Amino acid sequence: MTRYYGKSPKQIAGRVGLYAAVALICIYSFFPIYWMILSSLRSPEKLFLDSSLVFWPPDLSSYKSLLQLTNYPANFVNSVMMAMATIAVATTLSSFIAYGATRLRFRGKTTLVASMLFAYMFPPLMLVIPMSALFRIAGLADSLWGLLIAHLAISLPLAVWLLWGFFKSMPFDLEEAAMVDGCSQFGAFIKVVLPLSAPGLITVGIFSFLLSWADYVFALILIMSDDRKTLPVGLASMLGAQDLRWGEILAGATLIALPLFVIFMFCYRYFVAGLTAGALKG
Amino acid sequence: MRQDWRIIGLFIGGVLVLGTIVGGPLLYSIKLSFYTAASFIDPPQWVGLGNYVKVLSEPLFWGSLLNGVTIAISAIVLQVVLGVTIALVLNRQFVGQTVVRALSIVPYFLPTVVACLITQWILDPNYGLLKSVFASFGYGMFDWGGNSTSAKATIVLVSVWIWTPFVVTCVLAGLQSIPGQLYEAARVDGAGVMKQFWHVTLPGLRSVLIVVILLRGIWMFNKFDVIWLLTKGGPLNETETLPTLAYRKAFLEFDLGGGAAVATISFLMLASIILIYLRVFPIDEAKQGR
Repeated sequence: MTRYYGKSPKQIAGRVGLYAAVALICIYSFFPIYWMILSSLRSPEKLFLDSSLVFWPPDLSSYKSLLQLTNYPANFVNSVMMAMATIAVATTLSSFIAYGATRLRFRGKTTLVASMLFAYMFPPLMLVIPMSALFRIAGLADSLWGLLIAHLAISLPLAVWLLWGFFKSMPFDLEEAAMVDGCSQFGAFIKVVLPLSAPGLITVGIFSFLLSWADYVFALILIMSDDRKTLPVGLASMLGAQDLRWGEILAGATLIALPLFVIFMFCYRYFVAGLTAGALKG
Repeated sequence: MRQDWRIIGLFIGGVLVLGTIVGGPLLYSIKLSFYTAASFIDPPQWVGLGNYVKVLSEPLFWGSLLNGVTIAISAIVLQVVLGVTIALVLNRQFVGQTVVRALSIVPYFLPTVVACLITQWILDPNYGLLKSVFASFGYGMFDWGGNSTSAKATIVLVSVWIWTPFVVTCVLAGLQSIPGQLYEAARVDGAGVMKQFWHVTLPGLRSVLIVVILLRGIWMFNKFDVIWLLTKGGPLNETETLPTLAYRKAFLEFDLGGGAAVATISFLMLASIILIYLRVFPIDEAKQGR
């Protein structure tokens, strides 16, 4: 605290006020999440009585019954499959579209990019009502393939929008140099542009994952069978059940959030990059 | 530069896929809104503008529109005020700044379902944390979902908690673009902290805030999951908005045409706002959200 020698009381008060404000922001942002984790680690007998702020010793019985007695494991597998497929397809397709939109010469480029912006401001119901009818006709009702199409429809416009900004800011010289060396444009795209775009591709991957992993609306409407539900819908349906099993629900909520926390810790800067590019509809 | 047919092919393929899965449903939704289908199986009947006339003559439609606008505007005002405040604090130098900045945006990435379940748990009438807090002061728990104001307020507060980090992040980025000399000049002229905020910071954040308000406004207006997970539009349609109304019509009353009409109307309203947005911020400037 030697730094405060020679500072006026007013400056010190300013520092104290700043740290108090920072502490408040931390509590505001994190307390509800902490409360969820804490409650999920209480034993069922104590859950409804104890409102202390310590969870030690943790009790895993809510997690056990969640994994043994509910559809949660099946829902988890569905969610993981959806998210992986969405990441793979959305990242690949959007890189083709965005690269073409920045490097090919054609009319209506601005319209194409503007329509991406339009698409990610659509009312979700404008997509899901016709999808439910169309999928019924196409035999994709209550199918995870249908849900994948829906997840692509929400993540592709955003992915194109993000990558378009990324490719646009990348100098043409690099590809031209590769092409002078005998590479085709396609070869330059695969060998030069894509590796250099890793940060952009990671951002797109993360945001496609988030949209698919957190989706509630599309999964609620397009999936009916319990064993095909994804995590958000499966978990929310436990809330409507006769006996409210809060321990299991909160354990389930914690497990949905856990992968996000892990990715977030390692890829924080990509989250911020995507966020400031106006990414992720919320 | 010679154009490579493979690049052209992949581009066209990608655009076709995107166009089919986004444009297809969009057009089909407009088509559905001109038809009436009593069930999913019966062949639909052409009713022209019938669905629109019916929907627009319902008081519930106008009530939902009003609820949606009320909720969206209250949520945005709170988000912007809170977001700018938090950003100004996090913009100062302090120990652990990076960690706190990271922590403050966590709620944004939490799936909406998780945030809503936490809320339901804290507000649980029998075992919730809020009940214990109230009890320790000698008060009973109130029925938050039971009246219009507290149900709307709950939706607004949960939305503010989840989506304020978007404002914080954009404002923090915007603050970097305000030149430090402006503050020095203001100080030389004798401007205090408040004057500096009004005359330097706010004007500097103007374009960021316009974009943020527009985007958040549109997304909030489209919100279905927060409302459905917290109140299901209740009590007595007091938190019904256009998205929940469209859902109710299409999937609970099996009136696909009516639901599609509601969705199309809200799309048209938003589209006009987006067109104005694109006029004010042509694509190139819109890119970085500033």
